[in-house]
Amino acid sequence: MSTPPFSRRSFLLGAASLTTVPLLASCVGTGADGGAGGGTTALTLQSWIQDAGPKAALESVVAAFDGPPVTLNSVATEQFRAQLSTYLTSATPPDVLGWYAGSVANSYADEGLLLDVSDLWAPGGACANFSDALRALSTGADGKAIFVPQNYYWWSIFYKKSAFQQWGVQPPKTWDEFIALCDTLKARGIHPLTNGIGSTAWMSAGWFDYLNLRINGAGYHRELLAGKHSFEDPQVTAVLEQYARLVPYFHPNQTSWDAQQAVTPMVNNEAAMYLVGAFCTEYFPADQRDDLDFFSVPTIDPSVPSAEEAPTDGFFAAAGSQNPEGAKQLLSYLASAPAQQSFIEKSGSSNLPTSPDVDTSTFSPLVQKGITLLNETAEITQFFNRDSSDALQTTADAALTQFIANPSDIRGTQRQWQQAAQQVFSS
Amino acid sequence: MVTATSTSPARRNHASRSPWFHVVMVPFTILWLAPILFVVLVALRNFDDIAARGLGALPASLSLDGFAGALADGRVGRALVNSAIVTVFTVVASLALASAAAYALSRFHVPLRRTILLVMLAGNLLPPQILLIPVSRITQDLGIYDTLTALVIVQVGFGLGFYTFVLHGFMRSLPGEIFEAALLDGSGPARTFWSIVLPLCRPALAALTALATTWIFNDLIWAMTVLRTEAQFPVTAALLNLQGGFSNSWNVIAAGSLVAAVPTAIVFFVFQKQFVSGLLVGSNK
Repeated sequence: MSTPPFSRRSFLLGAASLTTVPLLASCVGTGADGGAGGGTTALTLQSWIQDAGPKAALESVVAAFDGPPVTLNSVATEQFRAQLSTYLTSATPPDVLGWYAGSVANSYADEGLLLDVSDLWAPGGACANFSDALRALSTGADGKAIFVPQNYYWWSIFYKKSAFQQWGVQPPKTWDEFIALCDTLKARGIHPLTNGIGSTAWMSAGWFDYLNLRINGAGYHRELLAGKHSFEDPQVTAVLEQYARLVPYFHPNQTSWDAQQAVTPMVNNEAAMYLVGAFCTEYFPADQRDDLDFFSVPTIDPSVPSAEEAPTDGFFAAAGSQNPEGAKQLLSYLASAPAQQSFIEKSGSSNLPTSPDVDTSTFSPLVQKGITLLNETAEITQFFNRDSSDALQTTADAALTQFIANPSDIRGTQRQWQQAAQQVFSS
Repeated sequence: MVTATSTSPARRNHASRSPWFHVVMVPFTILWLAPILFVVLVALRNFDDIAARGLGALPASLSLDGFAGALADGRVGRALVNSAIVTVFTVVASLALASAAAYALSRFHVPLRRTILLVMLAGNLLPPQILLIPVSRITQDLGIYDTLTALVIVQVGFGLGFYTFVLHGFMRSLPGEIFEAALLDGSGPARTFWSIVLPLCRPALAALTALATTWIFNDLIWAMTVLRTEAQFPVTAALLNLQGGFSNSWNVIAAGSLVAAVPTAIVFFVFQKQFVSGLLVGSNK
């Protein structure tokens, strides 16, 4: 009695089993590939870069590597962040891994998980001519170089040239001009600032970093993030007071957007300015990317030396690499001027080369301007999480999100922030 | 009895013809379909349209860029193959093992059988999150880390308890007379298992196949725990990889999700009946 329905089903099952035959065949195929990849000379490069342009660029750069065969694994960024310590502590770690320079790399170096790449920084090495700031950034606490920076990008206030022209306004030179510009735009029904602090709450730390750099300077900023000052300091109060002035200028929907969605009002000329990293160029429709320009966050206290945020990305090698010489060979290649040039040209994002030997004359005017900005500034910092830790970033996200919702309670924000930060530093 | 059985279908017919059924269910259906429709609409827009008008806007453009992007370099296709391999091997292996275990536990006086069953079930109650790091380390020590074999073994291990429990309940409800008759006809335990128990368990096995296929196909957490090489990733991890660090091509992600949903949808349509009965397995003992 159950035969008629089963015949239709058995047909479908038969069809399904037919399709599994090639699957099984390909299973054997993948198994064989895995075995071949396990040789001692082959290298594994574990990458967190997932944005379409840079990812394709890295793939083509790695494919052109003239050394041992390299398997490039791109893992979703947040997944990579969570699994990085598992990768590094595993018995057969990936040989080379992409990640951030600074405190995160240094903390892994302190645990002895990173390969000493000092010979790359020695005279004649691939990184020998890199700037002193990059050298300091790539050196661990024990004086050994552990990082190979490959590119960096700058943060600034981005705007659309055509929109500013249409509104008849100019990029401001001073802080007072900036506030006046915000007032002018707001009076005309335009949201002066946009931001996306919904699922990317860390974006709210961009303004905190810059205000702290402008009011208290890079030295204080670094020490604050290293736990040497309290978030209850009067210096932090001054920063939050300025931040509170800015809160009414933000697009009210900023709390529901992520960093990418925040550009939509800018595309439609409903919002004017966005403090964001240069990666934002990828957010805009292709025909608006050439319209973008930026200006640095204006000086607030002229006695404070200029500083810019320039997060640096690059690579390190695992101390447990099965092929340390090959890993260094790959790192040298990735740091070399031709590889950097190829990566930046193909990625289409607005990254800057770390090698001084890259010919930048072919890069877009926006990138040229970014290079000038960073060359002329006195101090360079990374970003809140990169100068401190992901754990401290979480405290900043909580504190600043709450502060933006209720900017009047500065003392309460500071007190709670310090309590949370204290737990991070004492753990 | 007779009157009860004759009135109940009539009442059911009457209820399904009532306009209220449609008045209530049509909005619910729309509500349930809305997210899928949203994903389809996003998948059919191009990037510039999404960037300029936001994710929630109605499409101003119609393009297959998203599908082209998702399928471009064959990553999603390769990942679907990986998912299929893992799913097929896991479902076959875990149901084979679970039915054998359930047969032994339900029909033979295995010492401590109740304890064994409870331990198997208790393993299922443990949240997988606390086992992620141990599993990762164990697979590394065994030298199978980063292979599909490891994923199949882990999936079989974690599924076995539940499948055994369900099949145990089902097999216990089979009438004892059948087994006595088989014994009298000279059928050994293996013959009885193969020729009598398995065919009788077909409804339960079909239901478990349907459930297990969707669970394993949709799994992400174990795949991320034991796999590191991009070429080995199943489709769930490949979808995660479509998300950028700073920027997302939402149309590509939406298109990739739709492509990834096709196999599960096919399984659902094939096993439609078993899905519903699967939800009731063991509930009417």
